[in-house]
Amino acid sequence: MYVCLCEGVTDKEIEKAVDQGARTMRDLRRNLCVGSQCGKCTCHARDVLHEALQARPDVIEVPIRDASIPMDAEVIYS
Amino acid sequence: MRGNTVVIAALNKVLTRKLTAINQYFLHARMFKNWGFATLNSKIYKASIEEMKHADDVIERILLLDGLPNLQELGKLYIGEEPAEMLKLDDKLQTEDIRHIRDAISVCETEHDFVSRQMLAKILEQQEEHQDWLDTQRSLIETIGVENYLQQQL
Repeated sequence: MYVCLCEGVTDKEIEKAVDQGARTMRDLRRNLCVGSQCGKCTCHARDVLHEALQARPDVIEVPIRDASIPMDAEVIYS
Repeated sequence: MRGNTVVIAALNKVLTRKLTAINQYFLHARMFKNWGFATLNSKIYKASIEEMKHADDVIERILLLDGLPNLQELGKLYIGEEPAEMLKLDDKLQTEDIRHIRDAISVCETEHDFVSRQMLAKILEQQEEHQDWLDTQRSLIETIGVENYLQQQL
C-alpha cells in the first residue's frame, strides 16, 4: 500500500530502503522524501520502518515510541 | 439554535472521518476504472458519493447547532496498490468509521441530543450495509480466488 501519498512511496519501497541500509526516519526522508510534504504519514512510515528493522537479524534494538507522548520532530529526524 | 459543545466536537470528529472516506473511496474507484474494473468503479464511486451526502448532513447539523464545521481537517488515506489490498484497506477504514460513529452516538445520547443521534443512526445503518458488502467481497476473494473474482468485476 501507499504509505506516503504526497511522494507516492509504498511500504515495499521503505522495506527495500531498509535492505539498502536505511535505519532512521531521517534516512527515509533523504532517500525517498517520505513525510516531507504534509507529514500525515510520519507515524505510519515509522511503524513500517520499525517492522522492517525488527525483521533484520543485524538490528539489535529498535527504539519503541510511546504512543501517549506527542512526537517531537527533532527526535524523529535525529 | 445554541448547541452543546461536546456534541459539536463529536460531530466534527465524524465529519473528519467522512471527508477522509470521500477521498479514499474516490481515488480507489478511479484506480479501478483506470484498470478496467467497471463494476468495482461504480460501486466504490457510489460509496464515495454516499460519504459526501453524510458529510453534508453532518455539516448542516453542526451549523444548525451554531457550531463551525471543520472542513480543513483530513485524516490519513489508506491507498492500496492492487484490487484485493484496496478492498481490504476500505474495509479497515469502514470499521474505524463505524466505531467513531458509535462513539458519537453515545455522546449524543448522554447529552440528550436525540435529533443528532437519529441522524447518526441513519448514517450508521448505511455504513454497516457498505461494510457488509466489503465483507462479502473479501470472502468471495477467499473462496473463488482473486483472479476469478476480478474477472467478474470487468
